[in-house]
Amino acid sequence: MFEISKVKYTGKIKEVTLGSGEKAVIIGGETCYPFHLFEGEMPNTPKIAFEVWDFEPDDWQDWAIEPFRDVIGNPAAWARKCVEVFHAEIIALNLKGADPNGKDRVVEEVVSVVKNVIEAVDVPVIVWGTSNDEKDAVLLRRVAEVCEGKNVAIGPLSEKNYKHIGATAIAYNHPVLASSPIDVNLAKQLNILLGNLGVKDEKILIDPTTGGLGYGLEYSYSVIERDKMAGLTQEDIKLQYPIVCNLAQEIWKTKEAKLTQEDDPKLGDEKKRTILLESVSAMSMLIAGADVVIMRHPESIALVQEMIKELTSRGI
Amino acid sequence: MNKYRITFLPSERIFDAHEGDTILDAAMKAGVYINASCGGNSSCGKCRIKVIQGSVISTRHPKISKADYDKGYRLACRSRPESNLVVEVPIESQIDGSILKDNGRKPLILLVSDLGMLIKQRKADPPFFKLYIELPEPTAEDNISDFERLVRELGRILKKHIFSADLNVLKSMARTFRESIWKITVTLTLCNNGFRIVNVETGKKMLENYAIVLDIGTTTVSGQIIDLTNYGHDICTLAEASDYNGQIRFGDDVISRIMYCRKTGGLANMQKALGDTVNGIISQLVKKSGVRKASISHLIFAGNTTMTHLFFGLDPENIMLAPYTPVTNVYPHAIAKDFGLDLEGHVYVIASPCVSSYVGGDVVAGVVGCGMSRSEKVTLYIDVGTNGEIVLGNKDWLICASCSAGPAFEGGGIQFGMRAETGAIEQLKINPVNYEPMIITIGKAKPKGICGSGLIDGISELLLTGILDQNGKFKRDLDDSRVREGESGFEYVVASKENTQICKDIVLTEVDLANVIRAKAALYAGCKVLVESIGLTFHDIERVIIAGGFGHYIDLEKAQIIGLLPELPLERFIFVGNGSLLGTRLFSFSRRFIDEAQSISKKMTNVELSTSQKFMDEFVAASFLPHTDDKAFPGVLKKLHRYKLLP
Repeated sequence: MFEISKVKYTGKIKEVTLGSGEKAVIIGGETCYPFHLFEGEMPNTPKIAFEVWDFEPDDWQDWAIEPFRDVIGNPAAWARKCVEVFHAEIIALNLKGADPNGKDRVVEEVVSVVKNVIEAVDVPVIVWGTSNDEKDAVLLRRVAEVCEGKNVAIGPLSEKNYKHIGATAIAYNHPVLASSPIDVNLAKQLNILLGNLGVKDEKILIDPTTGGLGYGLEYSYSVIERDKMAGLTQEDIKLQYPIVCNLAQEIWKTKEAKLTQEDDPKLGDEKKRTILLESVSAMSMLIAGADVVIMRHPESIALVQEMIKELTSRGI
Repeated sequence: MNKYRITFLPSERIFDAHEGDTILDAAMKAGVYINASCGGNSSCGKCRIKVIQGSVISTRHPKISKADYDKGYRLACRSRPESNLVVEVPIESQIDGSILKDNGRKPLILLVSDLGMLIKQRKADPPFFKLYIELPEPTAEDNISDFERLVRELGRILKKHIFSADLNVLKSMARTFRESIWKITVTLTLCNNGFRIVNVETGKKMLENYAIVLDIGTTTVSGQIIDLTNYGHDICTLAEASDYNGQIRFGDDVISRIMYCRKTGGLANMQKALGDTVNGIISQLVKKSGVRKASISHLIFAGNTTMTHLFFGLDPENIMLAPYTPVTNVYPHAIAKDFGLDLEGHVYVIASPCVSSYVGGDVVAGVVGCGMSRSEKVTLYIDVGTNGEIVLGNKDWLICASCSAGPAFEGGGIQFGMRAETGAIEQLKINPVNYEPMIITIGKAKPKGICGSGLIDGISELLLTGILDQNGKFKRDLDDSRVREGESGFEYVVASKENTQICKDIVLTEVDLANVIRAKAALYAGCKVLVESIGLTFHDIERVIIAGGFGHYIDLEKAQIIGLLPELPLERFIFVGNGSLLGTRLFSFSRRFIDEAQSISKKMTNVELSTSQKFMDEFVAASFLPHTDDKAFPGVLKKLHRYKLLP
């Protein structure tokens, strides 16, 4: 009888719990390549996190604001709507407002937003900083403090600030997002350093740096793929961590996501186009091996959820 | 030479020291920490030890009071054993005993291997040799020309009939023959079509035959003067000298030098800069050895392809441009004087043949020098230079690659880096409790800087004492004045200014560390890619030969701790020092080695790393201490765990 040839796996991605209480979510745990359920297990299906910003975004497309128009000025209400109306399993709170190259909001102002959001929802929260090493070193430590007991994923941690944030995250028992610039070996280095610092295996997530469709998606894709190959087939224990892709902010800022049909008729309907841009990028990341993707629009999220469901149902 | 056993307390480490070793030397080799800040020249007075048993030769140093002297206190750098000894190291008494005792560390220091082995059972057959001849005076019956007269006599002795002479020789021949009353010494060399007469001297000079050998590196030029008549089981070196390559002012690496050559007059400037450096070395060698300049018969050098081109004034441009074609890989024998060298008109220059644009004559010389092309054993040859060159193979096959490692191990790009010469810190150990360094310098002079072996020691010690993280960054939260924020970021003070020759603190900065890490990562990645390119792994390598001018020794264990060398059994390693100079010495010893070099240069296969994605991946993977692949360095990681530096 014909038998499909199968990959031999020697490793398993670590399981990381996000959040606390009843709605806590476990990610990772897979023993096979993404959706290769004929070869191994994916005990926890990949998840989508809904993106929420710490302030009312001033450069979003109208059709991106549309689903949240009533709550967009209030991050806590916005997060609650994601959960109650759109059934979000995870909230990703993006602290863009604190970025020194943008609004540069003061730390305590932003920390109080984080506090409000955390209290408003019962699902796990990922808190994404500014990617400015110095600002995050201060900001994310404070975030770790105020989120005590909530098991909030905090990041991104770079080679420059991992010690500061990492030590605080250990103290308050939060998972961290180890961020490296699209390189499997640099990802590994940071994971080793975090391990040396004392961060436990079940508290590390990888942020491989995400590029959107047309903006380097293929680089992220192959790095994620290689991370997973190393972890699952090459016994590379320092790469056996779940991968989180912060996708939304990469997709929605591009020219192709901003131009309307009026600006360029060749590009077609803007809403349909951007939803497809976001969902196709997310699907690519998931197929490469992402365990969590952070997305913006409820319609693209619905599309990707459908795909995940189809790929993980055992009906075949 | 007598050996004495020294037992160090409280660690109970034992070391068999040679008669002439100081106790400081012995302690360093045994891995025993003694405070020493001045490199071993007894100016700091910190290396106090207490002699418990046995006797030492040691005068009282002013830093030791009469009372302490009577109690047995001495300075380790001033004391030599006269019998077996038990000495106590006061500073170590403060350190956790478990750290001291946990490894009965044998010295794993490799000194430059004995050359005698390589030339054993080989007959000396220098490419330029001298013969003493007494010619019959011309008479009315025998009035053939001077040249024919000489040839007739040479033919009788050498049983050969084809001879030629340089025009210069003919010019002075008549006078030399008559002034010397027909007793002359002839210098000959074997060419394709018989012997060529390159010099005629008056009287008996065949015991004065000297060669200058040079390794022309991108960063450093090293030379020796060799006595070619005094070879038995060793080649007799009369003097050594080295200097930085004067071309450095035009650029640090070969590419920037080639770029400079594209300017008008650039090539000539470049050739002259190198010529000036070589002249400086020649004059030092002549001065140090006291050899008569006229009795130097030839100069042999080995350099990378670009250096060789620049020496001869050949246009190097296409070395840099795809598909990377040098003008030539074999070079004609030429007269040294024509290149502006300050040598007699009869002195020939021989260059080691090259393989390709980026695998030069230095590698070929190194391969001949270390003997791997005559051995059955699968050997990996690593030349740690600005361009790291790697050769793998044995007598049947050879493949090679070169990777740009940068000049870090020669002291380049390191704030207080220097070549391995007097005053260079070459051994370094750090007290794990108070982070005080113990340093030994070349020549036991006050420290001036740090050479390659000192860098290897230093980084591994910084890592083992937990001062440094695996990514080569200093821990920021150490409460110690040795680690501080300097002008270029965080740094570790290796020697403070009152103990140095340069009246400045000698420090190792994070920038320095990054340069060394890049250099070692490039070398390791190059080796890995080359070894794997033919389906082998490091464990299949039967012998690893390390060459390079980074010091007089290499501490293998420390080189493995920083991930420069693969973690293989230590007995597989051999250190040959400057491999390319070793090769040129052999060339001067026997022209058969030159023939061997020619044939090797033709059969070596070059693997191009600069376009290899795998090399880039391996390079990033190796840019960590020791490496991101924990399976490649299990022993080192075990050590880091044992020192409780890793959880």
